[in-house]
This record gives sequence, C-alpha cells and structure tokens, in this order.
Amino acid sequence: MISNEVIRRLQSILPPHCLLLVREDLKPFESDGLTAFRNTPDVVALPETEEQVRQVLAACRETGTPVVFRGAGTGVSGGALPVDGAVLLAMTKFNRILHIDPASRTARVQPGVRNLAISEAAAAYGLYYAPDPSSQIACTIGGNVAENSGGVHCLKYGLTVHNVLSIRVLTIEGEELVIGSEAMDSPGYDLSALMIGSEGMLAVTLEITVKLLPKPERTQVVLAAFDDVEKGGAAVGAIISGGILPAGLEMMDKLAIEAAEAYAHAGYPLDAEAILLVEVDGTQEEVSEDVMRVREVLLASGATEVRTARDEAEQKKFWAGRKAAFPAVGRLAPDYYCMDGTIPRKALPAVLRRIAELSVEYALPVANVFHAGDGNLHPLILYDANQPNAWQKAERLGADILELCVEHGGTITGEHGVGVEKINQMCVQFGSDELQAFHGVKACFDSDGLLNPGKAVPTLHRCAEYGAMHVPGGKLPFPELPRF
Amino acid sequence: MQKIAEIIRAAQTPLRIRAGGTKDWHGENIAGEVLDVSANTGIVSYEPGELVLTARCGTPLAEIEALLDRHGQMLAFEPPHYGTTSTLGGTLACGLSGPRRPYTGSARDFVLGMEILDGNGQHLKFGGQVIKNVAGYDVSRLMVGALGTLGVLLQASLKVLPKPQSEMTMQFECDETEALRRMNEWAGKPIPLSAGAWLSGVFTVRLSGAESSVHAAHNKLGGEVHEHGAEFWKGLRDHSAAFFQDEVPLWRLSLPSTTPALSLPGKQFINWGGAERWLKSDAPATEIRARAAAHVGHATLYSGDKTAGVFQPLPDALMKYHRRLKQQFDPRGILNAGRMYPGL
Amino acid sequence: MQTNLSKSFRNSSDGQEADSILRACVHCGFCLATCPTYQILGDELDSPRGRIYLMKQMLEGAVVTQKTLKHLDRCLTCRNCETTCPSGVQYGKLIDIGRKFAEQNVSRPLGQKLQRKALAKFLPQTKLFGSTLKLGRMAKPFLPDSLANKIPSVNTVQSHLATKHSRKMIALAGCVQPALAPQINAAATRVMDAIGINLITASNAGCCGAVSFHLNFQEDGLDAMRRNIDAWWPHIEAGAEAIVMTASGCGATVKEYGHYLKNDPAYAEKAARVSALTRDLSEVLLQEEATLRIWLANRGPKDTRRVSFHSPCTLQHGQKITGVVEALLTVAGHTLLPVSETNLCCGSAGTYSLLEPEISTQLRDRKLGHLNQSEPEVIATANIGCLTHLQSGTSTSVRHWVELL
Repeated sequence: MISNEVIRRLQSILPPHCLLLVREDLKPFESDGLTAFRNTPDVVALPETEEQVRQVLAACRETGTPVVFRGAGTGVSGGALPVDGAVLLAMTKFNRILHIDPASRTARVQPGVRNLAISEAAAAYGLYYAPDPSSQIACTIGGNVAENSGGVHCLKYGLTVHNVLSIRVLTIEGEELVIGSEAMDSPGYDLSALMIGSEGMLAVTLEITVKLLPKPERTQVVLAAFDDVEKGGAAVGAIISGGILPAGLEMMDKLAIEAAEAYAHAGYPLDAEAILLVEVDGTQEEVSEDVMRVREVLLASGATEVRTARDEAEQKKFWAGRKAAFPAVGRLAPDYYCMDGTIPRKALPAVLRRIAELSVEYALPVANVFHAGDGNLHPLILYDANQPNAWQKAERLGADILELCVEHGGTITGEHGVGVEKINQMCVQFGSDELQAFHGVKACFDSDGLLNPGKAVPTLHRCAEYGAMHVPGGKLPFPELPRF
Repeated sequence: MQKIAEIIRAAQTPLRIRAGGTKDWHGENIAGEVLDVSANTGIVSYEPGELVLTARCGTPLAEIEALLDRHGQMLAFEPPHYGTTSTLGGTLACGLSGPRRPYTGSARDFVLGMEILDGNGQHLKFGGQVIKNVAGYDVSRLMVGALGTLGVLLQASLKVLPKPQSEMTMQFECDETEALRRMNEWAGKPIPLSAGAWLSGVFTVRLSGAESSVHAAHNKLGGEVHEHGAEFWKGLRDHSAAFFQDEVPLWRLSLPSTTPALSLPGKQFINWGGAERWLKSDAPATEIRARAAAHVGHATLYSGDKTAGVFQPLPDALMKYHRRLKQQFDPRGILNAGRMYPGL
Repeated sequence: MQTNLSKSFRNSSDGQEADSILRACVHCGFCLATCPTYQILGDELDSPRGRIYLMKQMLEGAVVTQKTLKHLDRCLTCRNCETTCPSGVQYGKLIDIGRKFAEQNVSRPLGQKLQRKALAKFLPQTKLFGSTLKLGRMAKPFLPDSLANKIPSVNTVQSHLATKHSRKMIALAGCVQPALAPQINAAATRVMDAIGINLITASNAGCCGAVSFHLNFQEDGLDAMRRNIDAWWPHIEAGAEAIVMTASGCGATVKEYGHYLKNDPAYAEKAARVSALTRDLSEVLLQEEATLRIWLANRGPKDTRRVSFHSPCTLQHGQKITGVVEALLTVAGHTLLPVSETNLCCGSAGTYSLLEPEISTQLRDRKLGHLNQSEPEVIATANIGCLTHLQSGTSTSVRHWVELL
C-alpha cells in the first residue's frame, strides 16, 4: 500500500480531477491491453503540466515510491501493469501536437499524442510518420517510444528507434535531458537507442520530435491467396530474394482471415489457408514494375489467386482487416493472448508446423497474423478466461511458442516489449551476464529501481527458479505473480 | 577472441583498440598500449533472402561489400573507407555513414545485434540476427559511435538491402542557399533521392531506384548528368576529393538540414541534403562550436589542433549519465580511455 | 474479457445481454481514439473502455457512487466507439443497461434529479415545448448570452400542398423539431412529393422516446415508443411503405424499437416490424435516386452552395449511414467541402448540451473549427439537435440538408 504521506504530497501537487484514489475509480486502470495480468493501482496520477510531472517524480524519489508510466494502455505485454505500492502516472493529458515543420520534415509532439494523429496532421503537407503499429489509431507516441513499437511497414521504414529524432526526458533524479537532436546525430553515446524501447524503466518522456517522410507517390497492395500456409511463407522469401523491398508484407492464416473479414468486409478469400498482403510503394513507374514482379513471384510460388487492389478504397480495406485482426479475433473467442516472436524467415515453415502441433496438444485454437517481411510472428491464442485454467493453459502454450522462436535463432519479442508477460522468456533468450549488464544500465539511470520495477528484465534469482522449474513442467511458475 | 579477452583482463593500464588503423586520427589523442583486433575476421553468416549479414568486427569492409555486391545487396549506410584496411568494427565504433544516410539510415540503424567484450573482458551478446527485436535494452546500438569506450566490438549482425537497379547523378549550378532550399524541398517529396551535396556553386544530387523512376525523376528535376557520379560520391564519402586535401583544419558540422548558410570563414562541402557540412576553416573552435550549437547541432574536429577538444562538450547532466555508463561497462577505464571525452 | 457478474443479475435479461457484450470486449483500447470525451479530458474513466470497466465492476456487485454515474453521464452516446470497435462490442446497448442499473443504485443530488426530470418530461411534449419556445424568443433580448444562445431564432415555413400519390410513407413529426424548425419536414414533404411519394403524419405520434430513455427515464421512453407504434400501425396496415426520419437522432432510436421492446409480449413483434420499416430520409432518396435525378434535371439549377456537411453520430455511428447525404447534395449540384475529424461528435447529443455544457461547448467549437475551415456558405446536417447546437456557436447558417434540395 502507498503511504498517506505520499498521498498527501500528491494531493498538494495535483488538482482533484487529476488524482484518483478510490477503488471505484482505480479499477479501470488495473490492466493495459493485456488483460490476463491485472492489478488495481493504489493511486493514479493524471498530470496536466510538466511541472506536475516533475513534482510527482520528486515526491516519488524522496519517499522511495515506485512509479509506473502509462499511455493509452494499448500495450500487450503488460508494460503498464500497476505495481503494488506504486503511483500509476498516466501521460494521456499531454495530447497536443506542438509543431509541424514541413521544411525540415519534423513534428514535435507531446507524449500523449496518438500515433495516427501525427500522420493525420502531417497529411496536409504530403508527409506522414512511418511506424504504424496495429493500434496506431489509439496508442500514444510516448508509449511507442517506451516500447520501440513497430508496425506493418518496418521492413522498409524501420521501428520507432529509426524514426524518432529526439526526445526530452525527465530522470527520476529530476534532470531533464535532451537526447538526440534535429540534426542527424549528436555528440556522445547514442542514448536514444537506449531510451527508446526501455519500457519506462529509465526515464519518463516529456516531448518527442519525430521524422516525417514524404508520402509515396503511389502505393499498391496485392493480395495473394494460398491453399497452404507453407507456400505462402516460401513466397515471402522469394519476393525478398528477388530484390523487391515491399513497404509491407503481411500474412494471415485461415482463422485470422475469418475474424478480420467479419469486421472489415475486406473481401478476403475465406476458403484460403493463408493470404499475403504485399504493399509496394514508390514512384508511379517503380510501383508498376514492382507490382508486375510481385505478381509473377506470387503465381510462381503457387498462389491460388492474386488480386491487385482496384483503388485506394480497396487498399484501405485490405489493410483495415489486417490492422484490426487482433481485436477482431474477439469475435471468435472471448479472450485472446497475442504472442510476438520474431524468427529468421527461412524458419517459418518449421515454426508454423510446430505451432499447429502445439495448438492441438493444448487444445487451444491459434490464429496466426504475421509481419512476414521481417519475420515477426503474432500467433493469437484463443481462449475463454471464464473457463477454469484456460488462461494458465494459454500462457504455457505462449511460453512454448516464444521458446520455439528462440530455438530457431529468433527473439521473444519483435515489437511488443517484454513487460511482465515475457519476463521468464528473457531468461531463455539472454545469459546471466547480459541480464546483469541490463541491470547495470538500469542502475545508471535509476539506482533505486523506482521506475516500472519488476518489468522487462528478470532478476537472476527469478531466472534460476524458472530454469529449475522449467524442465518438469506442469507446476505453475511464479506463484507470487498476479494471475487470473 | 579468447586472447583479446585475456589481454583485457590482464591489463593494468589503458588499451588503445585498433584493427585496420585507418581512423587512428579520429577522436582525442590517447596513450595506451595497442590492442590489435585485426585478426578477428570472417563473415559468420550471410543469407541474402533474410537480408541479414553477420561478420566478425575485424573483417575488412571491402570484403563484406564485395560479397554483398555479388548478391545484388549493399550496406545501405554507405560507410566511408578512410583507407583500404577499414574494418566493420572501426566503422561501427565510429558510427560513420556516407552520403546515402539521410535517405536510408545510419550505421546504427542497420545494426541488429552485437557481441562485445566489456572492460572486464566479459563476452556479452546483445540483440540478435532478426530485423525486429526489442528484448532488453538496445545495447548493440549504444555501442555504435561509442568509439570503443564501452566495449571491444567482436561481431555484428547487420540488416542489408537490395542494391538499387540504377543510379544517376546530376549537377546544377546554384548558390548555397538555393541548394539548401532545393535539398529540403525535394526531400519532402516522393523523389527517389539518395544523396545531395553542394560545393562551390555546384549542387549535386543522386537518384536511386528502378531505372524508369530514376529517369522520370531526372526528367522532372533536370540537371546535367555527371558521367562519373560514383567517383564523385566516393570522393566525398572517403574524403579523397580535392576539397579535403590541404592542411587547413577540417570540421564536421552536424545540423538540422534546414539550417541556413553558415557564413563561417573557410570553404564548405555540404553533404546529407544539408544535414552534414564539412568545413575547412581556421576559425577558432569556440566560434565554430557556438555557431553549430546555435542551430541545435554540433561540430567535430576531424583534423587540426585538438587542444580545444575534438567533440562538442556535453551538458553536465548528460555527461553524468555518460560517466555512469562508462563505469558500468568499463569500470577500470581500460578501453580507449579518453578517446571521446576526458574520463570516458 | 473475463466477467463475473453477480448471480441474480446474470440471470436477468439485462444481465445476459450485458455479460455477452462485456465478454466481447478485449480491452484493446482502440475506442479511446474516437471518443469525444476522452479526446478532451484524457482520462481513461471518460473513455468507452473505462466506462465499460466501470459498468463491469458495478454489474459484478461492487459498491458504486456518483463517481461512476458522473462518467456514465458524461458519455455522449455518440457510439463512435462502436464504429471503431474491431471486436463488435455493442457499447450503446451496454450503456443503456449500465445507466438504468446505476440510476437504480446510486442516488443523484436533488438539483440534478430535478433538472433531468424536467427535461425528460418537458421536451418530448411538442405543444408545451413550442409555446415555451415562443416565450423564450420574446424574452431573448433580456436573457444572458449562455441561455439566449440556446434559443434558436424563428423560422418561417411555406406550407406545401401535397398532391395525391399512390405511394405513401409515414413521417415522424418528432418533439422539438416542429417547434424549432418546422421547415425541415416541410422541405421533406416537398421533395418527396416531387418524386411521387406522399409523406403523411400520424396524429398521435410524438417524441420517439429517446429523450426520456437516455435521461434514464427508460419507462417513459418505452411508453412513448408504444404510443408511436399504436399511432403508426393503422397506416402500416394500410400499406405505408416506410417510416421516414428527418432527424437522424429519432431514426437511430426508432430503428432500435425492436430491441427496446423485445421483452414486451404485446409490442415485441410490432416494434420489430416498425424498426424494419424505418428509413432515414437519405436512404429513401438514395433508393429513389433515378426519379430524384429526373426531377432535379427538369427543375433546372437551384442556387448551389459551398457546403460543409456534419454527419450526426446518430446517422454515421447509430445508423451506419455514411456518404449518402454527401452524395445527394452533390447530385443536387452543391460543392461539398473537405472537413477533418468527421467522425467526432459536435457535443449536442440530445440533452447533453444542457447537462454538460462545458464539454459540449468545447466539442461544438472544435467541430465548428473544422466545419468552417474551408469557409462554407452553409453548414448542412441531418439532425435537429446538431443543427441548433452548431447554430448557437456560429454565424454560418446551419441547415438540414433536405432544405438544400
């Protein structure tokens, strides 16, 4: 529990409508986009000014109170899961776009600005912000910075770390740092690489300057259907080996197609085992050439149907289904658990085969949504949380899938972050020396461990326990974690 | 590698990391015994279909580029070669990128994973060999541009890209202000730009992409085709162009691309579509640094008297965190101590 | 989403419905993006997802207070979130249940109670509202701005004598519209007449029930619905093709009669039939597009304008009709101007502008900023509530789109 002294200090800093203290108001903050992990916060602060943020952090530092940061709460790794005895600091009231400079192609924004709002505001200048996580309609740029979010266009345009020029952050020690700059590099160490994706463990972001790109002259989306998932996977490799760098290259399997179609009415072929969406962009001429080449490769790879979007509206529809694919599976089952492993593309057939076997073993359906271009898999495990033990089963299946990715030379998280969800798998991905180095980095910025404690990097003790328990299986790991 | 680790562990005094030795002049002059890492060579894996290459850091850049070239791929950050023996490790440690950088990304942007030896000789592996990976802090990218002060780079995995089908370099006669205006205006439009430079009244741009779109863009923009475009960009990239061949101190100013003409004494070669300005000038360091800072940029001394420091000084708060990171990765201050700033 | 509703509630009709709606929600948070109150306040509790959570804990038996009620009250019921929701959560239905439950379990301050009751009882009565409005207009010069802005100026109506056509459709007179803007239904009658359809009004029909229902006098609302069904039934039996709505707010409600009255054995079937027959005026005209085009061509060009169109939430989110009015205005020769944030509510939302003036005014001004961006000659909309609310904040004329045909 949080002490009365802390509450009193927060009350002196924040007006009543910016401070939530009673259970009735707090409960809706108990989870972010990952509802399997829930923990009602002790207090929620919704500051409106930077000065309030500064004072809240000072109060936390002086009283040794942990802080968990939260944006729109759309994250799916539990990064914003409240921690006992901590202040949950939501940055959602900082939702202003401060400046768009079309000449230098930059936008300076507050952290609570929605990802998509930046592109909407920049559209007037023929510019846009490239990273587009599926939740871009709602997720905040501050959250994107914390998680180093990706999206469907990463292969060509990179992740958040490639598209943020500078951030102004506040450390728990009360220092304001400008990291990066509007120039293309800055003196000293590349702290922006460290900060971006640090999951709220190193500092809180106050302001972000992002790079804007010119909208391509033309984009075109080709949809290909396959009667076999592995053929689809092979087609992905063939496109890239053919020297084409698509802006987006996405794959969905049958279950995912069914759900996405029900929401978006995108005209996806419902009888296909897998579809590929290939987006090419560039100049008029380039796109025409690439579309021809892509079609040839797809047909040669055994596509049963290849369709080019007729117009922009149809392109949008093709994407709408894909972007809403996660929540749309809410139509197939009351709950889903979204995984985020990345694998070398060549391992795709083997990994998909094994996931299908695991799905049978655990008797839980798995819908696969896949950033095929960059090897980022999103298996969605469908379950019903109202059924006893269903979540535990889903969680174990998820762990098996992630470890399968590591086994094939991949990683446990491509863009969602570790949060609380994949913290055990960090022990599989990294050795104890690396984990210790991570703790060392953390200590450089937050020696008392007040920022988002218990997330992203496991303690060695925890890993020892996980390793010991991991072999026999069956037993529930980490009984101290909240679990539903 | 084992041997390098042992040397680090045994070292009582600072070590100076060196492989090809083409960038000995870069950074502050430091003392210390040379830690030769040039034997740590070899391409570990390369699969064109994955767009990923992994190599040991002593591998010559030329070798890597030749291999990629055979498969129609490239290092898209167009790394400078300041000599024939430039290595992958030196390039990454210095964080150097060439003319293509504003349009495709920097050296750091293409790093996917790294293996290093820290200041205790401990072998650490960060990142991985896949294009998307957000597990753990991004220590691999932290190493890029750290000048070896946080660790000896052993092995790196890089994202590589297909080479453009065709390239074309065009030139226009115009003054600096007009060139800067065009560079920024064009960069905001869907034009397949891959480099933009200006030197003494001549504005030079490069287009890269499908042949048809390069030609279409040329038709739209005009300009006289440069017959030896590749040589031009190489001269700028590797500092072999005539501009760089004199004794006047060389400065690199990194600025927002829209920064207006600087009117500092000396001559300038503008690169990176306005964001990188090479300056040959005898002006005092304080004046050059103040001008760069006024435009929220920074200035680095590439050649000349280093008494005023090579790199733009950091604000105190930022320096505090730099010191802590150094302390973390190299607590005994063994690795390239002082190469970037005193105490790092 | 996992649910654990109290046993007794779960077995009720509301309970079953609420449970299935709640379980469809996967907590993705997409709805935050398009929720007007969240855009302004930046507080999860004023977002659809936050309200769903507040309702969930309430329906699961947690003790709730005026805090929950406040956040439910602040919802505009614009249902923008439903359009955004990929999981198909029927938020509108859930908040009806939640509001009813909250009203029964949380007591309001007396002042609020009286204000809401007055509105619920008074607004739906066309005659009473009409005469009060006249009084208000006379007193307008003497009223403070805040109140005076809410009183629309007088509109004169040219009455049209409809010729006899064999095709008939029923028009809903509505409650506040006849007094505030009688010219709307007159224009609708004129256009329908021109394309060969008689628009008739049932004498006993009145308010669609939305006003009382959404102020949580749900029984009063249901009574109004039953009364309308009774009034329309003879005409339906006599072969009226459709029930035509000139206010999209009423349309969204009448299209849900079947849902609202599903547990009333005497009315369930009729209500479903009424809902099935209900069309927004734009839907009817779209269906009759060919005839409409002939009429427009024969009539020759009328004064064409530069128009910004505001699609009411009840049209685009409630009835999921998009692009139709815009197309009709274009067919009639007007120039449609680009408008940003078209999905966002104008803040009118029935009685919301009176109960939550601060948020409502912020939303109105934000909306007017977008609508006036391209300097239109006229702003068109499709609902009387939006029309009067928007007009109270701008000198640009705000009209129902059918008046421009």
